[in-house]
Amino acid sequence: MSTKEFKPLPAQPAPVSTVGPVAWVRENLFSSKFNIIATILIVFALASVLPGTIDWLFISANWSGTTEAACVKDGACWVFIRAWSKQIFYGSYPSGELWRVNLCLFLLVVIIALSFILPARLRNRVAVPLFLLLPFISLVILNGRLIGLEYVSTDKWGGFSLDIMIAAASMIIAFPLSFLWALGRRSNMPFARSVSVTCIEFFRGTPILALFFMGSVMLPLFFPQGVTVDKLLRVWIILVLFMSAYMAEVFRSGFQAIPQGQYEAADSIGLGYWQKTMLIIFPQVVKISMPNILATFVMVFKNTVFLLVIAVPEMLQIVMTALSNSNWLGGHAAEGYLFVGFIFWICCFSMSMMADKIEKILDTDKRD
Amino acid sequence: MSENVNSDQDNASSVISINQLNKWYGDFHVLKDINLQVAKGERIVICGPSGSGKSTLIRCINRLEEFQRGSLIVDGVEMIEDVKNIEAIRREVGMVFQHFNLFPHLSILDNLTLGPIWVQKKPKAEAEATAMRYLERVKIPDQANKFPGQLSGGQQQRVAIARSLCINPKIMLFDEPTSALDPEMIKEVLDVMVELAEEGMTMLCVTHEMGFAKKVADRVIFMDAGEIVEQNTPKEFFDNPQVDRTQKFLEQILAH
Repeated sequence: MSTKEFKPLPAQPAPVSTVGPVAWVRENLFSSKFNIIATILIVFALASVLPGTIDWLFISANWSGTTEAACVKDGACWVFIRAWSKQIFYGSYPSGELWRVNLCLFLLVVIIALSFILPARLRNRVAVPLFLLLPFISLVILNGRLIGLEYVSTDKWGGFSLDIMIAAASMIIAFPLSFLWALGRRSNMPFARSVSVTCIEFFRGTPILALFFMGSVMLPLFFPQGVTVDKLLRVWIILVLFMSAYMAEVFRSGFQAIPQGQYEAADSIGLGYWQKTMLIIFPQVVKISMPNILATFVMVFKNTVFLLVIAVPEMLQIVMTALSNSNWLGGHAAEGYLFVGFIFWICCFSMSMMADKIEKILDTDKRD
Repeated sequence: MSENVNSDQDNASSVISINQLNKWYGDFHVLKDINLQVAKGERIVICGPSGSGKSTLIRCINRLEEFQRGSLIVDGVEMIEDVKNIEAIRREVGMVFQHFNLFPHLSILDNLTLGPIWVQKKPKAEAEATAMRYLERVKIPDQANKFPGQLSGGQQQRVAIARSLCINPKIMLFDEPTSALDPEMIKEVLDVMVELAEEGMTMLCVTHEMGFAKKVADRVIFMDAGEIVEQNTPKEFFDNPQVDRTQKFLEQILAH
């Protein structure tokens, strides 16, 4: 008796009309009547708005000079941004000491880069401890007193560098804290659970502006006589707690996505509670939660502009101060706010791109 | 073989001794007065309809489930609230799950070495050597550096068996190890289990693979509604079931 041999058919390329740019245009711009009308309307709208905007932004804009008098053309007065650029970026940090701010930012960039470059094992052993130390190293460098540099008090720190650093410092501390809160919320121990739930619900249910006011106005009333806690430090603590509350909920949803079988398998090979949590559960929760964690990072970074309500000289606050400067009363609000918006957008957009990259790196292990 | 079957009263030689065990899920009485003695090296197959408590019973043995009344002694250690006892018992008992439950974020090798390195505090090199030996036994040493998601179901289940063996257990529990597998992969997993049985491992196996039961089991236990209805040698169990419930069950599963 002879058996027939089974041979699978070879795969064939997709039909030409479904791939390539022409197909894309047809598919996305002119696929239906409604779609065609929408495309035409959008093209008209762009045609009527874009030329004027581009003209104001670039062609008739004033780029060079140092004073308001240099702004003679009709367009935007970018001289305003130029003249104030140092304050916008560094606040009133002493000119001779700016390298310290730059060093801190450089360290941040290096550590972020390291966590991308290093292989997984080294990442946990090198980049993570460096991250956790960074806020304190930066504090020492910027303050300067401990290491024999010129002392710079925190009211002189400011500008966009402050936005970046306080956001980064908050994220770094909030990350482990929020994980602990999320663990506490799931815990069987009544004390741990009630403390976690109270913290999470309080900081999540209160507007960040109210928290900043509380931190700057009310908290000092509770301190004993003579004790003062630096304003920036209070703001930092509030940002950390606020962010932790949000991230704890992000982590909680991550926990719920872990199948029960993972806990059982960890139990069955004899791992203890913390071994199980840190070796099995934490890595998977972080991976599942990563998109939302990064969204929280972006949110907190943008929220740093609210610091202006308690007169912390971050970027927006400085631009507003510059707008009321007697040498620059010619109405540069549009340029100023546009610039602040643009800088934040660039940063948040890069963070989104980075988030994409991180998700791809983490996706190397496929779930079963 | 038949000595084991009749040694139920002989607690002294038992590696697992279950007496008057009762468990409730809320109000639901899921295990009722279970008595079971397992001798060293004995291979037991537990079968029964779903909801009969068979999985719950073997999950009590390594404390994935708590029970409310009765006693359970594993290798001389009594199962009580004390974390020390629970950990001691879990070191002696390996478990294989229906859905494999490999750790998806770790490579196959890391899945295997986790227990030896973190629980038994073995040096990494030694743990890896042991892991490779077990991977060879389950015939997939070439997959050591892949991740669980890249393996077929049958391969994942063999890795899961190897992972349990790495902690060097005296007893192996299998909770429907082939129920989630494609038909073509069941055999490769059963082959590994048969080999393990032939080497003298004490095994408790919840399964509906009756061929496996006939081939390796010393004793087949039939459970229904939280009770042990009948237990006997495979030959007697299949050829000459004593209780009507058992007869009905066997008719159902052997009909096709």
